[in-house]
Amino acid sequence: MRDYVIRRVLGMIPLILIVMIVSFSIFSLVPNPFAALIENPRIKKADIERLIKAWGFDLPWYLRFFKWFSGVIKGDWGPSLLYPGSSARDVIARALPVTIRVMGIEFLLSLLIALPIGIISAVKQYSVTDYVVTVFSFLGMSMPTFWFGLMMMMLFSVFLKRPSGAPLLPAGGMMTPGLEEAPFWTRFVDQLQYLVMPVLVLAFSSVGSWTRYMRSSMLEVVRQDYIRTARAKGVPERLVINKHALRNALIPIVTLVALSVPGIVGGASITEKIFNIPGMGSLIIAAETKSDYPTAMVGLMLTSFLVIVFNLIADIVYAWVDPRIKYS
Amino acid sequence: MAEQAVAAKKKQKSSEDYSYVGMVLHRLTRHKLAMAGAVMLILMMLFVFVGPLVWRADPNEQIPGIEGMFNPPSQAHPLGTDDYGRDVLARMFFGGRISLFIGFSSAVSATLIGAFIGLLAGYYGGWADNLLMRFTDAMLSIPTFPLLIALASVMGKGMWQIIMVIVVFGWMSDARLVRGLALSLKEQEYVEAARAIGASANRIMWRHLFPNTLAVLIVSTTIGIGSSIIYEASISFLGFGIQAPLASWGNMLQNAQQFIWNAPRLIVYPGLAIFITVLGFNFFGDGLRDAIDPKLKL
Repeated sequence: MRDYVIRRVLGMIPLILIVMIVSFSIFSLVPNPFAALIENPRIKKADIERLIKAWGFDLPWYLRFFKWFSGVIKGDWGPSLLYPGSSARDVIARALPVTIRVMGIEFLLSLLIALPIGIISAVKQYSVTDYVVTVFSFLGMSMPTFWFGLMMMMLFSVFLKRPSGAPLLPAGGMMTPGLEEAPFWTRFVDQLQYLVMPVLVLAFSSVGSWTRYMRSSMLEVVRQDYIRTARAKGVPERLVINKHALRNALIPIVTLVALSVPGIVGGASITEKIFNIPGMGSLIIAAETKSDYPTAMVGLMLTSFLVIVFNLIADIVYAWVDPRIKYS
Repeated sequence: MAEQAVAAKKKQKSSEDYSYVGMVLHRLTRHKLAMAGAVMLILMMLFVFVGPLVWRADPNEQIPGIEGMFNPPSQAHPLGTDDYGRDVLARMFFGGRISLFIGFSSAVSATLIGAFIGLLAGYYGGWADNLLMRFTDAMLSIPTFPLLIALASVMGKGMWQIIMVIVVFGWMSDARLVRGLALSLKEQEYVEAARAIGASANRIMWRHLFPNTLAVLIVSTTIGIGSSIIYEASISFLGFGIQAPLASWGNMLQNAQQFIWNAPRLIVYPGLAIFITVLGFNFFGDGLRDAIDPKLKL
C-alpha cells in the first residue's frame, strides 16, 4: 500500500504538468489584452510595448509558459489583469470562500436528500415510489441549470412578492448592502435568503444523479447471494437492508463522494453568473475571456490539483472500506 | 434515435445478429421510460423538421417599430414576437435544428475519436496505452467547462467551431470505455484466429473489436447528445456560441434573459425545448442501456 501511494504521488507530477501545458496553451489563444490599447490615443506606444514586454506577450506561448512557470515554482502566480493591484492568488482567495459556502451547502444537502431516496427507490424497485423517484432524478439530470435558474428567479423574484411589495427572494448577490455591521442573526437570515435559489437550482440536478448512483449501487448488492442467505436465516428485513446491504452499497458511493469534492472548489460558472455570485466559477470564466490568464491558471490549477489528489484519496478510501481491494 | 440505432445495428446484420437486435428491441419497447423518451424525441424532431413546412414564417424577418416588439401569442404569431419583432415560433424551429445538429454531430464525433484512442490503447497496450491513457487522465482532471468556454471564446462563433470545441472535451469517457472493452475482447479466440490468418492490426481493431463495442457506444452517444445540447446551450448562453441573427435555443435564452421583466415567456420556450430534448435522450439512452446490457455502467 505504501509503495502504491508513493508511486501514485510520483505519477501526479507529469499529470499536473500536462494539465498546466494544455490549459496554458488554450489560454494563449486568447488575444493579447494590451494590443487593444493601441486604439487609445492617450496611451504612449512605448508604454504599451513596455507592458507587453513585462507580461511576456512578445514571446511565443511556450516561452511565456516557462516565464510563468518559473514564477510558479517560486510561489509567484503573477498579478491579476482583471483586478489591477491584486495578485492572481489574492483574487482567487477572495472568491474561494464564497464558492465553498454555496457549493458546500449544496453538496451536503443533496447527499442528505439523495442517499435515503436512492435506497428506498432500490428497495422498492418497480413500485410507484421507484418510478416517481426515477422520473424526478431524470428531470433533475436533464434540467439545464441556466434555464431552471431563470425560471426560479421569475417565480421567486418577479411573480411572488412579499406583502411589502418586495420580491420574495433577492434575485442575486450574496447579501443586502448596508447590513455588513448588523448583528450576527440578522446577517445570517439575510444571507440565507440569497442562498436559497442557487442552492436549490444546483441541488435539483445533483440530487438526481446521486439518487441514480445510490439506487443502482443498492440494486446490485441486494441481488447478491449473501443477502438472500441473510433473509433465509430470518434476519429482519430492516437489518438486512440497513446493515448487510447498505454497507456494501455505500462503497462505490464513498468513492464518488471523494471524486466530487473538487467540484465544491471549482464552483458552478453558469449558476454563479445568473445569481450574480462572486465565486470561483464566474471568476474563472471572466478571467479567461478577458485575457487574465494568471488568475484563470490559479483557479484551474487549484481545481485540477484537487481532482488529481482526490482521485488518489478515492482509491485509497476504496481499498480501506473494501478489504477485497488490494493494490500492489 | 430508435431508427438510427437499428440502422447502425443492421449494418452488421447476420442471422444471429438479427435476433440480437430483435431481443434488444423487444426489451426496449417494454421499457416505459425509454418509450416516453422516444415519443418526446419524435415529437421534437417533428416540431423542428416538419414544423417549418407547416408554419412558413421567416425566422429573421423583423417587424420594425415598437408595435412589433414583444407581441403576445396571437394568430399571426403563435408564440408571439421577440425584441426585434421576429416570429418566435419560426426561431424555435430553426434554432432547434441548429441545437440538434450540434448535439448530434459533436456526440458522434466525440464517440468516434474516443473509440479510436481507446482501441489503440487497448489493443497495443504497453507504452502506447500508457501514453494515451495518461493524456486521457490529464484531460479528465481539467475542469472541462472553463476551458470549453475559453476555447469557444477564441475559436470564433460558427457552428463547426462549436462542434469542434465540444468534441475536444468530450471524447475521454468513451476512450476509457472502449479501452476497457478492447482489453478483454482482444483476449478472445476469434481475435487470435484473425491474427493467426494474418489480419493486420488495423483490420482486427476496426473489423473485429470495434463492432463489438458498437452497442455500448450507441448508448453512450445517445446520452452524449443530451449533454452536448446542454453544452452548446451553455456556450451560447454565455455569449460565445451561435451568434445572432442565427437562432439557437441557447442564444434565444441568452437574449431573453435581459427581458425577464417584460417578456418572461421568451425564457420559457427555448429552455423548455432544451429540457424536453435532453430528457428524451436521457430516458431513451437509459432504456437502451438496460435493453443492451443491464449490468453496463456508463
